[in-house]
Amino acid sequence: MEKVLLKNIDNPDSATIKAYEAAGGYQSLKKALDLEPKKIIEEVKSSGLRGRGGAGFPTGMKWDFASRDPKFPKYLLCNADEGEPGTFKDRPILEKNPHLLIEGMIISAYALQAERGYIYLRGEYPHARDVLEKAIAEAYERGYLGENILGKGFRFDLSVHQGAGAYICGEETALIESIEGRRGQPRIKPPFPVNVGAWGMPTVVNNVETLANIPYIVEIGGEAYAKIGSSDCPGPKLYSISCCVEKPGVYELPMGTSLREIIYEHAGGIKGGRELKAVIPGGISTPVLTPDKIDTPMDFVSLPKIGSMLGSGAIMVFDDTVCLVRVCWRAMRFFEHESCGKCTPCREGTGWMRNILERIENGFGREGDIELLQDVALSISGKTFCPLGDGAANVVLSFIRNFPDEFEYHIKNKKCSAGEE
Amino acid sequence: MLKVTINGIEIELEKPVTVLEAAKQAGIKIPTLCHFDGLPPFGGCRLCLVEVEKLPKLQTACTLMTTDGMVVRTETAQIKAARRAMLEFLLINHPLDCPYCDKAGECELQDLVAIYGPEAGRFAEGKRTHPESFDDPIIVRNMERCVLCTRCVRMCDELQGAFAITVTGRGSHSFVEPFTGGKYNCEYCGNCLTVCPVGAIMSRLHRHSYRPWYVEREVQTTCGFCGVGCTMILQMREEHIIRSIPRMGLGLNKGLLCVRGRFGYDFVESTERLSTPLINKNGQLQPVSWPEAYEYIANRLKEIKEKHGADAIGAIASGRCTNEDNYMLQRFMRFVIGTNNIDSLARLSYAPTVSYLESIFGQGITANLIPGIANSDGALVVGGDPTTINPILGLQIRAIRKNAGKVVVIGPPGGLKRFVTNALITDPYSEEMVLAAVLGRLSEEKELRGELPRLEEKIRAVKIPSQDELSDAIEVDEINAAVDTLKGMENPVVIIGPEIAMQKRSSKRLFLIAAIAYLINARLFVLSERPNLQGLMDMGCEPHMLPGGRPLEFEMFRHKMEESLGKKVPESKGMNLFEMLDAAQDGQLKALYVMGENLIQSLPNREKVESALKSLELLIVQDIYLTETSRLADVVLPASSWSEKDGTFTNLERRLQSVRAARTVSPGRADWQIIADISSQMGDSGKFSSVESVWEEIIHISPLHAGLSYEDIAKGNALWPYHGEPLRGVEGEFDVEGIDSLPEKRDKEAFYIQLQRPLYHSGSTSRHSRALLSIMGEPLVMINPSSAERLSLKDGDKVVVSSDIHRAEAKIKLSEDVRAGEVALCNTFSGLNFMQFVDYEVSPVLGCIVITKNNVNIEKVT
Amino acid sequence: MALVDEIREIGRKYPDRRGALLPSLYLAQKEYGWLSQEAYETVSEALNLPPATVKGVATFYAMYRKKPMGRHLIQLCTNVACMVMGAERLVDLLKERYGLEPGGTTEDGRFSLVIMECIGACDRAPAMLVDTDFHSDLNETNIFEILEKYK
Ligand SMILES: Cc1cc2nc3c(=O)[nH]c(=O)nc-3n(C[C@H](O)[C@H](O)[C@H](O)COP(=O)(O)O)c2cc1C
Ligand code: SF4
Ligand code: FES
Repeated sequence: MEKVLLKNIDNPDSATIKAYEAAGGYQSLKKALDLEPKKIIEEVKSSGLRGRGGAGFPTGMKWDFASRDPKFPKYLLCNADEGEPGTFKDRPILEKNPHLLIEGMIISAYALQAERGYIYLRGEYPHARDVLEKAIAEAYERGYLGENILGKGFRFDLSVHQGAGAYICGEETALIESIEGRRGQPRIKPPFPVNVGAWGMPTVVNNVETLANIPYIVEIGGEAYAKIGSSDCPGPKLYSISCCVEKPGVYELPMGTSLREIIYEHAGGIKGGRELKAVIPGGISTPVLTPDKIDTPMDFVSLPKIGSMLGSGAIMVFDDTVCLVRVCWRAMRFFEHESCGKCTPCREGTGWMRNILERIENGFGREGDIELLQDVALSISGKTFCPLGDGAANVVLSFIRNFPDEFEYHIKNKKCSAGEE
Repeated sequence: MLKVTINGIEIELEKPVTVLEAAKQAGIKIPTLCHFDGLPPFGGCRLCLVEVEKLPKLQTACTLMTTDGMVVRTETAQIKAARRAMLEFLLINHPLDCPYCDKAGECELQDLVAIYGPEAGRFAEGKRTHPESFDDPIIVRNMERCVLCTRCVRMCDELQGAFAITVTGRGSHSFVEPFTGGKYNCEYCGNCLTVCPVGAIMSRLHRHSYRPWYVEREVQTTCGFCGVGCTMILQMREEHIIRSIPRMGLGLNKGLLCVRGRFGYDFVESTERLSTPLINKNGQLQPVSWPEAYEYIANRLKEIKEKHGADAIGAIASGRCTNEDNYMLQRFMRFVIGTNNIDSLARLSYAPTVSYLESIFGQGITANLIPGIANSDGALVVGGDPTTINPILGLQIRAIRKNAGKVVVIGPPGGLKRFVTNALITDPYSEEMVLAAVLGRLSEEKELRGELPRLEEKIRAVKIPSQDELSDAIEVDEINAAVDTLKGMENPVVIIGPEIAMQKRSSKRLFLIAAIAYLINARLFVLSERPNLQGLMDMGCEPHMLPGGRPLEFEMFRHKMEESLGKKVPESKGMNLFEMLDAAQDGQLKALYVMGENLIQSLPNREKVESALKSLELLIVQDIYLTETSRLADVVLPASSWSEKDGTFTNLERRLQSVRAARTVSPGRADWQIIADISSQMGDSGKFSSVESVWEEIIHISPLHAGLSYEDIAKGNALWPYHGEPLRGVEGEFDVEGIDSLPEKRDKEAFYIQLQRPLYHSGSTSRHSRALLSIMGEPLVMINPSSAERLSLKDGDKVVVSSDIHRAEAKIKLSEDVRAGEVALCNTFSGLNFMQFVDYEVSPVLGCIVITKNNVNIEKVT
Repeated sequence: MALVDEIREIGRKYPDRRGALLPSLYLAQKEYGWLSQEAYETVSEALNLPPATVKGVATFYAMYRKKPMGRHLIQLCTNVACMVMGAERLVDLLKERYGLEPGGTTEDGRFSLVIMECIGACDRAPAMLVDTDFHSDLNETNIFEILEKYK
């Protein structure tokens, strides 16, 4: 497959507007500004593009809702919070292909008739911030941003808003709170951001990768795009793969590529030729899979069928030397640290689960702890204010469901079975 | 119209409400923790989870809106298990120290666990710890008990608008804190105490001495501090007030109180209360029996009346006393003594302000509903900070902003700082200039409608300052911006504070405000520092007015009174407050009866007032403390305080409200009772066996109150006009000082001393409240940081403040609420108070007070 | 430009100046070294926000410094990928070599250490930020070669 999102990134100057334009950049913008905004929304709808932030919501539909709302001004927010552990797929776009995102945002803004955009960039990416700010300045210079873009009478202003270390701000309503200068706690929905978002106005929040697909859709048309990859969630997809593989990294592949292909063909197989023990397919919040599931296509439709989710497409591969109880414990420490504190089950339950996992991992596990963990996780699952709590429960439930022996071994023998010869 | 089914019960709803609200309407209670009526929904505690058909997950009833055909269940096994789980989560980090937690017995968490469990906890690790904070004199914070419902923070931000507390941190390490992390630096409304469902934010005042079941009685009454008249519940054990709390839905304050109402009640239990009558014998006040005191008073008054005539006797009524008390005092003066010499401290500003506005617009013009303020789309505030003078009214103005309305303030915005659209912060004494400029610009925009020809004629005659003339006081752009805001208001209110009256040319300023209000078609409110200033006026405690708002000058009214009571009304207009003081000094006035006021502390030029009072042959003071004034008295009579007697107050919107005895014993006697006793001692035929009998007479003779029973008042329906139509039609005569001239310029370099009206105090009564003193325990001289810089002073420096007539040492405090060139000092403390430094004149038109000699010097003590 | 003016300038980028709060806190942190009460008050004044509100927002976010820090801040990721690739060993080594504990500062004030959640470098794990410089593929030797450049 021809690279769309990571096109040209091996060029050391890929982040400059010169290199981007030389490779055909900003042509889609020129094309788009000659179209009716509605037409672009139609194209995106027919492309079948689904949001790459994790939830997989059809992008065209989201835009349609926002554009039908009569209130103005409207806002376009790019979700560059990329906080899900294991995820680093947006990073190459942000650091090496910023103009693709910017072009995508300008087109999207035009389609939505939004005059103001912000890139909500996680605080942990200071380098990306420098790159983006420089790229934005370049785009202003060339008249792609600001008043009267390319003389077509459309105005759009864009800036970077830097987060400050809060995973929950990746959740779109928490992100909006954070841009407004508040504690990043999610908002009650409905109303949805498309109607009442930033500063009370219709707002579209899209992931970096989602927006980066827009120029291509405009270029080749929605129908052609819909033919790439899986039929009900088409397009190119960035998979980030890490942990125990030979060649960890970000791979741009058609949506629906199987886990097996990604692990063994692209990422060079398990590190040191060891045994595959477990895979998390979509970032730490998505349920873990056993090796027998790796022929499943990586997309929004197939993974739920086997009890997991595509999430951000962040594959974490664990070989037989990795202690899964420890992974589970570390993941829970993350959720405890990142729980925003708004709702009871997530605020209190994540810490409680971390406590139990900690004692199991440290050899102080008790009989009944597995059942207790499951019970606590079930008390959280489906009862939290936002999906963060569900993610925490998923980890515990899926690890115990898929690897019960490892937990039992820990409790009985007060030590770990992993890596033991 | 939509239909929903909850637990099998079908409910019809006019419009979509939350499932929680719909269930409530059907009489179904869904447990909640983070929900609180009146606060924005939060959805955090997850206790209100319910099942909704067709929705896969449990839903929170407090946030989910009903839709037509929705089917909801609220108490299934799944829901109960979920609630038990939520409670178990809340308990893992909860200290379970219920035996010594003051909230035990009224703790929402405790109650819910009793219903849903868990019976035992399974959390085995150590709980999160966080030391209890005792950094504050009033509020104890125990964040281990906090369930993070954030009700307190939402209360503070959304309803109170103080923004004093916040959640800090994240996740299970979130804590509610004031900015300092320790002591609160807030308005001390205590409304966070109302909403805290557990023992996390508690009052220190009754720490470890209170359990809800200790409350033997609850008495609903009206706060005695200011002219708003909040409804409060006094919780009693024996004769002690354990707490004063608001109740949701009751009164115009709807569940809110301010610091004075919530914490200041302890003044009634001060050990300094007077408990026996005193008579000055040989230069010393000596305890005497009540009969002896009565006899003495009766004899001396008779003697003076015989020798010098009834007009040698005068009386001062009180805005802290009830309608019944005040009615009895004027009745005593008019019918027993036979003089119209009665007035009160309402003369300083409130009464003349209201009367003047009535002469422009007609009677009852200031009778507008306080709760309506929040619904208006704009406010113009002049002459004082409503958030400190009448705090609950101030909250209504803050709410205007929250509802996307606009607020224009002329003068320092104080507690409205975060809520103003335009603040015209001028130099001291330039309000007239600013008002005239606003009127000038506004009348270019708004038409004169021809409704009030006299007013319009004067509007046309006003001299409007030119840009040049104005430039000294304020930027023209600021005026224009404010006028743009004002002209866009559709149903605005104008709030007038006491400061408008206290300077020269008060009629001009008040007229300008009236004219602006007329142009923008606003409702008027006059702030009132005391609970019953309006009431005492309605009761006839003015030298020229009879009860029921009837001018004495009309023979017809005197006649009517005579007919109803069978007593002759003295004809000649009496002396007002200032005239009585002058007359006392001149020896014309021989006796003065002061009810519940501390004249020496409350009036300028202490020396002059003292000397006037000392010149009297007889000074009778009825009070609850030995004050600066009662110390000079010949006879002192201990009165009952506000919480020890029944009666009524009339608030600034002219709402009559019940005041009820919570303490059944009192070290003194009710003021009305004392006066009734003295009246009968002096041969009056009136029989007053109870406070109702006083009220009976009032509604018999006052057309304003005709037929209004105590029951009506208790129901909260007693709004002006109490029955039927207002008394007098529109448009009287009124004069305006200097209508065709501009005010004289003030020296920009000079410092002026200003009366500070602190939120934490109320006249000199509050200096007997230990709670209020713990918040503000000493007088501070407040100056603007820029003034401090000019004088090379810093916060906390000792200075000498001197005016023409007084000089004293003081500590300074820097505050942005005070304008440059201004020096603010309150009037609560005895050693150092505003009135000591200044003198007064009487305004020729309004008859209110004009503060003079308020030029001061400040020098650092070295 | 004075801090207050700089903050007000950022405020113009937002329809409501409160939007500038997060960026302002970064600026204040730079100016004061950490977010002291004084720093909060400055931001509060510049944006006309209640100081308690400012503090409440700041303390929600992990990357603001709520206490004074050393000259260089090491933000080391130990989340799952980094953990699997050996980050915990690096934490121990930092303690052995510099006496540096997570959340602590070396005695000479040179380094402070903060344990991070995922910093999006799982393919080059373990990874860390030193001040705003990014370093990846850390191991027991190269981490000290890198750190020795920070004096
Ligand atoms: C706890 C949580 C964290 C999230 N973090 C991210 C994130 O880091 N990046 C992102 O793009 N979306 C994240 N999302 C998803 C967003 O809420 C939202 O769905 C997304 O920004 C929408 O964009 P899309 O439609 O383009 O995917 C997160 C959601 C949740 C519940
Ligand atoms: S599940 Fe609840 S506490 Fe957790 S992050 Fe979401 S809202 Fe916050
Ligand atoms: S786990 Fe460390 S960078 Fe992702």
